[in-house]
Amino acid sequence: MKLRPFLILLAVMVLLAIPWLVSSSMLNAAIQMLIAALFAMAFSLLCGQAGMLSFGHAAYFGLGAFATVHAMNAFNGEGLLPTPLLPLAGAAVGLVSGVVAGYFSTKRTGVYFAMITLALAELLHALAPHLKGTFGGEAGISSFRMPAWGFGFGTAIEVYYLTLFWVLLAIGLLYLLMLTPLGRLALGLRENQRRLRFLGYNVHALGTLIFAISAMFSGLAGALQSLNIEAANYAELETHVSTVVLLNSFIGGVRVFLGPAIGAALMTFFGHVTSDVTRVWLLYQGIIFVLVMMFLPRGIVGELVERFSGKRPAGEGIRLSEMLPRLAGIAVAALGGVVLIELLQRVMSRDYRALAAGGQWPEITMMGLSWQPGSPLTWLVPLSALALGLALVLGVNRRAAARREATA
Amino acid sequence: MTFPTRALASAACILALSAGGAAAAEPLKIALVETLSGPQASTGLLYRAAVQYQVGKINEAGGYNGAPVVLEEYDNQGGPVGATDRVRAAIADGAHIIVQGSSSAVAGQITEDVRKHNLRNQGNEILYINLGAEAMELTGEKCHFYHFRVSPNAAIRVGTLVAGMKEAGVLGERVYAMNQNYSWGVDVQEATKAAAATAGYEVVEETLHEVNKIQDFAPYVARIQATNADTVITGNWSNDLLLLMKAASGAGLKARFGTAFLDQPGNIANAGAIAEGHFVSTPFNPEAGGEKSKAFAEDYKKVTGHYPSYVEPATVFGLTLLGQALQQVPAAEDIDVTAIALALEKATIETPIGSFSMRAEDHQGVFPMVVQQVSADATFKVDDTSYGFKPVKVFSAEESAAPVQESCSMQRPS
Amino acid sequence: MDQIFFALLNGTIYGLLLFMVSAGLTLIFGMMGVLNFAHASFYMLGAYFAYTLQPLTGFWPAIVLSPLLVAAIGVVIERYALRRVHHFGHAHELLVTFGIAVVIAELVKLFYGNYPVEYRVPTELSFAAFTLSGIDYPFYRLFMGAVAVAMFAAIYLLLTRTRVGIVVRSAIYRPAMAEALGHNVPLVFMGVFGIGAALAGLAGAVAGAFYTTNPNMALDLAVLVFVVVVVGGLGSLGGAMLASLLIGITNSLAVGVNFSLGDIFGIVGLGEWAGSVGGVMTMRLSSFAATLPFFLMLLGFWCVRRA
Repeated sequence: MKLRPFLILLAVMVLLAIPWLVSSSMLNAAIQMLIAALFAMAFSLLCGQAGMLSFGHAAYFGLGAFATVHAMNAFNGEGLLPTPLLPLAGAAVGLVSGVVAGYFSTKRTGVYFAMITLALAELLHALAPHLKGTFGGEAGISSFRMPAWGFGFGTAIEVYYLTLFWVLLAIGLLYLLMLTPLGRLALGLRENQRRLRFLGYNVHALGTLIFAISAMFSGLAGALQSLNIEAANYAELETHVSTVVLLNSFIGGVRVFLGPAIGAALMTFFGHVTSDVTRVWLLYQGIIFVLVMMFLPRGIVGELVERFSGKRPAGEGIRLSEMLPRLAGIAVAALGGVVLIELLQRVMSRDYRALAAGGQWPEITMMGLSWQPGSPLTWLVPLSALALGLALVLGVNRRAAARREATA
Repeated sequence: MTFPTRALASAACILALSAGGAAAAEPLKIALVETLSGPQASTGLLYRAAVQYQVGKINEAGGYNGAPVVLEEYDNQGGPVGATDRVRAAIADGAHIIVQGSSSAVAGQITEDVRKHNLRNQGNEILYINLGAEAMELTGEKCHFYHFRVSPNAAIRVGTLVAGMKEAGVLGERVYAMNQNYSWGVDVQEATKAAAATAGYEVVEETLHEVNKIQDFAPYVARIQATNADTVITGNWSNDLLLLMKAASGAGLKARFGTAFLDQPGNIANAGAIAEGHFVSTPFNPEAGGEKSKAFAEDYKKVTGHYPSYVEPATVFGLTLLGQALQQVPAAEDIDVTAIALALEKATIETPIGSFSMRAEDHQGVFPMVVQQVSADATFKVDDTSYGFKPVKVFSAEESAAPVQESCSMQRPS
Repeated sequence: MDQIFFALLNGTIYGLLLFMVSAGLTLIFGMMGVLNFAHASFYMLGAYFAYTLQPLTGFWPAIVLSPLLVAAIGVVIERYALRRVHHFGHAHELLVTFGIAVVIAELVKLFYGNYPVEYRVPTELSFAAFTLSGIDYPFYRLFMGAVAVAMFAAIYLLLTRTRVGIVVRSAIYRPAMAEALGHNVPLVFMGVFGIGAALAGLAGAVAGAFYTTNPNMALDLAVLVFVVVVVGGLGSLGGAMLASLLIGITNSLAVGVNFSLGDIFGIVGLGEWAGSVGGVMTMRLSSFAATLPFFLMLLGFWCVRRA
C-alpha cells in the first residue's frame, strides 16, 4: 500500500515534464488526452459508481464548452473571468443543466434512464443549429484567449499547464468525493436502490445530485476543450461525442477509479497516431472495444488491478509460462489481422477497383513490402498468422483450464 | 516466401530525382487537413486524390524554391475539434499552406485558427486555401487576408444554375427552394430568392429541413406538388439529395431539379434513370472546352484511376493557380508566405474552359461555371452507368462571378 | 383533402417500415432483456447482401436469401459474443452489441466503399399504383407496407397459435421452468435472435432498394427504432406496431405544418414581439419533423409517470 502515493507522485512528475519530453504536435495530443480523461472520469462517476448508463453526456460537455466561449467573448472579448478561471463558467453551466436534466431522467432507471438521457441530448442537438445566437450555427462560435496574470496563453505549453492544473484538481476532487458518505451512497445506488430507499434515503434526490456533479465535471471538460481550441461548435453536441466517452470509459474500466481516465487517454492517443496512418482506424477502435468487452469485461485497467492486487487465491497468480505464449499468440494474430485488413482496404478502394476492372492487378506497396493481390500466398500468409495466433491462445487457455480443473 | 522487395514506389523515385540537383533550401510544405475516415470520408478522399494529382504536377515542373513541394496528410476525423488538433500538428510540422474543402463547419474552424495563429505569430504566417467549403460567410464576415477560396459559393452556384436553366427553356416561372437547415442551405435559399428578379421567376415556397435525418421525403414531395412548381432549386447533397429525387420520381413529380451537388460520385449510380434531365452547375465538365478538357480528364484518369468530378476539378484548378503564384515569388532561404498570398491575388491561369483568377477584395476565386444536364447522350459516362453530364451552357468567369459581400472587411498586411 | 390522405398513407407506410426493423428488436428484448444496438446494422446488412446477390440471382431470390444470411450472422453473434458476456449483465451485452455495430459499419465501408451503391427497385416493380390529383403513388411503397403487414401477421400467428410459439413464450416468462420441462432454452434464444436479425435483414433488403443503400443507413435508423421500441413498451409486438405507426404518421403530418410557437402568440396579438425575439419563437415545426419522435418519447415517460 505504501507504493500508491509514490506512484501518484511519479505520474504527476511525468505529466509536469511532458512539454520537455514530447514534440509540439504530441503536446497537442496530450492536451486532448487530458480533456478526454477528465470527461471519461465525469461520465464514470455516474455510470461506474452510481450504475446509471447515460447516452447523452455530450449535452453537458457541449453546454460547458459553449458557456466558456460566451464567457471568453463577454465584455467585447475581455472575458467574464481571467482566462485561467474561465473553466468555472463551463462547470457552473454543466451543474445547472445537470440538475435540470438529472431531475427528469433519474425518475426512471435502467434502459429507460438511458433513453431519456439520449432523447434530451438529441433534442438539444436538434435545437442548437436553430439558435444561432447561442450556438453560432454551423460555423460555431470563435473566441480568443486573453493574456492574464502575466501569462500570454498563446502557446500550447501554457494551455497544457492550465489544462493539467484543472484536470488534476478535478480528479482529486472526484477522489475525495468517493471517500465521502455521498460517494458511498452512490455505490449503494448502483448495488441496491430499493434497500437505500428502505433505509430512508431520498433516492431521487441522490440520483439527481450525482447526475449534476457528473454533468458539472463534464462541463468543466467541455470548458477546457473550448479554451484549447478557442471555439465551440454544435458538432460537440452530437451523439458521437456521447458514444466516444462511453467507449473510452469502458475500455479503461468504469469501476476502478482511474480506469476511465487511462482508457480515454489511451484511446485518444490511439486515434491521434493511427488516424494519420490508416483510413480504417475506426474499425480497429471498434474491434478493440468488442474484444475488451468480451475478454476483459472489467476493462483494461480493471483487469490489471484484478490480476495484480493479490486478491486471487494461491496458485491463481500470473504464470509466465502461460502469459508469455498467450501474449505471443495475441501479437501474431493481431499482426495477421492488421495486414489482412490493410490489404483488403487497399484492394477494395475505389481507385484500385477501377484498375482491377480493367483486368490489371498491380502490386501494392505496404509496410515497405510489395504485395501481389493476384497471388494466393499474399492472402494465405496473414490468414495463417491470424489462425496460428488464435490457435496458440486457445491452446494455452485450454491447458490452463485443464490444470485448474486438476488442482481444484 | 517470395515477396519482391522493390520497396520504393516509383513516385518516391521521381521526387528523389527531381530534388537531387537543388541546394538544400527550405521546401514548401502543404498540409491537407481533410476528413479521411468516418461517415463523411468519401468527399475527403476525393480532395486527397485531386491535391495529390496537382502537387505531383507542380513537382514535375520543378517544385518551388529548388525543392519539391512536400504534401503531408492529416485526418481531421470529420469535426472542427479534430481539425484544430490537426492544424496545430501541421503547423508544428512546419506547414506553410493548409488545404481543406469538405464541411463548412471545419472550414470555419480552420480559417479562424489560421487567423489567430497569424495574429500571434507575425512574420511566421500560414496560408489557408479553401478547396470547397462554400458557406458565404467564409468570404463574408469571416474573410481575412490569409484565406482563399477556389470553389464556387451559393450565389455563384444558384446564379449560374437558374440562368442556364432559363436559357435551356426549362426553368419556368414557379420555383421551389428546398434546402437543408444550416448555413449552406440557408445561403442557397437566399441566393434563390435574390436571383428571382433577374431570371424572372417567383419563389413559390421555401422549405428548410433537417440535415441527414430524414428517411422519407414523400411528404416534402407532396408539398412541392401542391405548389405546382416548375423547378426545384436545392443545395442538398449526398443522401438528402438522393432521397429527395427518388421520392419525387416515385410520386411522378414533373418539376425539374436544379442542384449544386448532383455530380457527387455514387449519385447517378444510385438514382439511375431518375436523375435524367435534371441540372447541376459546376466549375468543370470534360465535354465543355473541347480537346483541352478531354486531355485534362484523360490525364487525370491516368494518374488517379478515375475522371475528375465533383470537387476535384476546382481543387486542381485552385492548386494550379497556386503553382502559378509560386512562380512569381523569388526563391529565398525562408519561405515568405505573405509574398505567396500577394502573388496569389494577382495570379491568373487558363483552365480548359476559361480563365481562372483570384479576386483581391474578398479572396473568392473567379472562374467559369458549366451548367449541365444528366443525359444518356453525354460522352463521359459516370459511375458505370449509361448516363453522364451533358453541358448546356458555359458561363465565363465574369458572367459567373457574384458581387463582393459588404460584410467582408479585410485587413491587409502593412 | 388529397394532401391529408397522402400524408396519412405516407406516414403509415413509413411507420410499417419502422415496424419491420423494430419488430425483431422488441422480440429480442422481450426474450433476453438485451437492447440490441446492432439491430439497425442487420437492416443495413440485409440491404447490402440483397444488393450483392441481385445480379447473381435476380431480385426476388435476393430478398429471400439476404435475410437468411443476416440470420446466420445474428446466430453467430448471439452464440459467440452475447452468450459469452451474458453473466456480466444486460448493460454489458448492450455495450458489446454497440461495438459490433461500429465494426459492422466499418466493414461495410471497407468492402463496399463510402458511397451509396447501385441498389434500385427493379423496373418491373417501379410503376404507379394509382394517381390522385396529379400525384402518382408508387406501387413499391404499397408493396413495402404489405410485406410489413404480412410479417406482423406471421409473427403474431407463430407466437400465439403454434407449439413453437408456446415454447418461445414460456422461455420468455419462465426460462428456468421451460428448461426444467426439457426445452432447450439457449437454442430458443439463439433462434429468436436469428429470426429477429432476419426480420431486420428483410426490411433492409426491401427498403434499401427504395431508399438508399449506404454505409450510414444503420446509424440513421438506429436511434429511431430504439425510440419506437421504448415508446411501444419494451418487448411488446403490438406496442411496437402502434408506436411505429404513431411516429410515422406524426412525422409525415408535421412536415406539412408550417407552424411555429410565434404563431400562437400571433393569435393573441403578440406576433410581432415573438418575431423580434426570434430563436425558438420563429422555428417552424416542419423543420423539426425528424426530432419529433424524441418529444413523443419524453412525453410518453411524463404521461406514464403521472398515470
